[in-house]
Amino acid sequence: MEYILKNGIVFDPTNNVKGEKKDVMFKDGKIVEQVSDDAKVLDVTDKLVMPAGIDPHAHIAGPKLVVGRMYRPEDSRRGATQKTSVIRGESGFSIPSCPATGYRYSRMGYGTVVEAAMPPLEGKHTHEEICAIPNIDVPALPLFGNNWFVFEFAKENKIDELAAFISSWLKITKGYGVKIVNPCGSEAWGWGKNVHGFDDKPPYFDVTSREVVKALAKANEKLGLPHSIHIHPNDLGHPGNVPTTLETLDSIKDVKKNAGVRDQTIHCCHLQFHAYQGNSWKDASSGAEEIAKYINSTDHVTCDVGQVTLDETTTMTADAPMEYDLYKLSGLKWVNKDIEFETAAGIIPVIYSAKSPVNTLQWAIGLELFLHIDDPWKVCLTTDHPNAGPFQRYPRIMSWLMSNTRRMEMIENGEVHKWVNSRTTLPTIDREYDFNDIAIISRAAPAKIYGFEDRGALTPGYNADIAVYDIKPNEIDPSKEYEAIEKGFSLTDYTIKDGKILVKDKEIVQVKKSRTIWTNVMGLEKEEQAVIDGIMPFFNQYYSVKWENYPVHDHYLSDPIRVDVQASK
Amino acid sequence: MKTITFNQKKTSAIALEFDELRPDDIYTWEKADFDNYGVPIGNSRFPLTDYFDIEIEGEAESPDDVKMILNGDMGRVKYIGCKMSGGEIICNGDADIHVGAEMTGGKIFVNGNVETFAGREMAGGYLEISGNTKEFCGASYMGEWRGMTGGEILVRGNAGKQCGECLSGGKITVLGNCDILAGIHMAKGLIEIHGDVNRWPGGQMKNGNIVVHGKLGRLLEGFVLDEVVTNPEIDGKSFEGKFIKYTGDIGLNGKGSLYLDAIANRDKLGEYGEHDDEYTSIREYRNL
Repeated sequence: MEYILKNGIVFDPTNNVKGEKKDVMFKDGKIVEQVSDDAKVLDVTDKLVMPAGIDPHAHIAGPKLVVGRMYRPEDSRRGATQKTSVIRGESGFSIPSCPATGYRYSRMGYGTVVEAAMPPLEGKHTHEEICAIPNIDVPALPLFGNNWFVFEFAKENKIDELAAFISSWLKITKGYGVKIVNPCGSEAWGWGKNVHGFDDKPPYFDVTSREVVKALAKANEKLGLPHSIHIHPNDLGHPGNVPTTLETLDSIKDVKKNAGVRDQTIHCCHLQFHAYQGNSWKDASSGAEEIAKYINSTDHVTCDVGQVTLDETTTMTADAPMEYDLYKLSGLKWVNKDIEFETAAGIIPVIYSAKSPVNTLQWAIGLELFLHIDDPWKVCLTTDHPNAGPFQRYPRIMSWLMSNTRRMEMIENGEVHKWVNSRTTLPTIDREYDFNDIAIISRAAPAKIYGFEDRGALTPGYNADIAVYDIKPNEIDPSKEYEAIEKGFSLTDYTIKDGKILVKDKEIVQVKKSRTIWTNVMGLEKEEQAVIDGIMPFFNQYYSVKWENYPVHDHYLSDPIRVDVQASK
Repeated sequence: MKTITFNQKKTSAIALEFDELRPDDIYTWEKADFDNYGVPIGNSRFPLTDYFDIEIEGEAESPDDVKMILNGDMGRVKYIGCKMSGGEIICNGDADIHVGAEMTGGKIFVNGNVETFAGREMAGGYLEISGNTKEFCGASYMGEWRGMTGGEILVRGNAGKQCGECLSGGKITVLGNCDILAGIHMAKGLIEIHGDVNRWPGGQMKNGNIVVHGKLGRLLEGFVLDEVVTNPEIDGKSFEGKFIKYTGDIGLNGKGSLYLDAIANRDKLGEYGEHDDEYTSIREYRNL
């Protein structure tokens, strides 16, 4: 089937198209340069056309989500809707049900969402849940930062073995890249402890976070994976964590990049939570400027922000000791799980209030990062869903970024706490994003950072993943009409995924199976077998589960897209 | 004032849902609107007029001008007055679950018994039940840690288990008896029980007040005897008589207060006063 999207105002940063009035054509699920006269015309005159969005870091599938939904039925009540002839009933606000997750991303014009933390032993379950999410493609990142074998390889600097280990575990878990959460800290949590700073060691392992992160980065580049290491550094959410964050980012600067599409060798997720100055919450202030300065001066770092949206939400992370700290602060109900896997996890509800000084500080730091980092290709739009806020709030964040008027209104009218004036630089920044910048942080940059070569742009041959918004870029003044921007980005006129029209005139008209994307490293089969044989005696002696519990078989995968990578030896 | 009377024609085995028939929704409705309305029953809708004859008198300019009168057995009608913000509902008969749930204003009078979750999470207004109500009166719903935050509930009969669970404001008065765990997890507000209480009021309470005029079956271990007070003023209301005051739940560093009528519960003083010199004055009350 051929289609032509006629007369839209197109923003496609990858191809350097900045607001040109042009037609976008697609045929059989792919973008094409020409279509025949029989092509169906979709009139989108003067409306905003972009590639479909890519969310580089969200928690939408996996064991944490299931437990979160079970223990927060009060969240499921929010956002409940009845089923229609096309879609199933929805539920949930911060932890939507699987179908609701897919529908809501589609309505916002998103096509790909990365599940950012998959415990290897729960890989099967994560993929089962991906099957239950419709409409979006979901790569998942398995967790490596607290794995005993990774610790051993890192300690002895065995990069070749570590590379083979990563390659085999990506195959076993059907993962896309290397995720590191609080390296050594989640292992320490198994003993009721945490690590502090970048050079601390977990109990019973003579290895530091620095060694683990460096070794994983080297192994990642040795394999030439499409994505770099994806790190959640130590000391998340602790005042005074800026030095740890900067040391983490700086430790990778000498590692040589080995991949075609991306520029970075380290991607730091939800950077907002890692940018606090001070010694305690009493004297905490923003460290965003210092971190942004570092990122501006280097080429090997990219980040996503984790913008606080000032909502009631649920935090869930593999950084379990941090969740325990949050529990001690708030006293709300708390879940502690996955302790005996190669990770840990905690879940707790959080109410981000604009009246709270600390939450206001967090809100401002996120926006400061967006505005202080000069190159939008280095920063992505996320809320670390659901940790800093649910993903449905992306349009609101876009409106904040595009409108200094709105930001100053919030500050001057006292909609947020007065700490924003004394402890952050937000009131002094008047930069405003334009539509091209928004297209970069929400589609083009994530695509480049993940090394996607089939999405994130309107290049002929790419997947026909397109979003058309009811916004007329040539007529609207985003600075003043911020409410229209938020509304416009919330519901698309068209969301097209793989050439299928999923949303039409703000309503879901079709539901499509999700697809998972995973990385298959080729050429290391012998090395992988040798590494697995090598760790087996230790595994059999100390693990309480069988090796056979790990592999995610093909029937667990939802219509997979395999990305083949030739390992460089 | 607009009076809308619902006279029951027949009952249904599957419950009718009335959450779309609040004064807020229907104050502008004419007879034809009711005739065209399908009431949710299970997963379908059926004509409301199959179940009720509707009589309308007068005009209303706001929900506050509406008086809804429900005549008949509403034992299978759920969500009466749920989320209402004004007006008045009089239910002459029993009612099903979630009566006055999440209401923010207005008044509801039920002349009969009410099922579970009466006045759940209400934030304002007044709910009066002439008969008994079952579990979770004025409580929070599953998972929620913020229960009723304002308003007032009066139960003239008995209340079931976990009355006022997670109470975060407002006032609940039970003229009859109360089952176990009244005011569990409560953080604020007042629960006054005129009858007897089965066991364990105020478990894990953080703050707020519970007053029991009748006899308490068994107290939780997390409550520490504080003092015996005469004619105390609690939450802005003065009470006559002598009360034994406990503080708890100490397991959660709670600062809630539990007042038990000193005469009805004099056996409690015996248990505590026996071995502790600190409570000399309390021991004197043992022979009340």
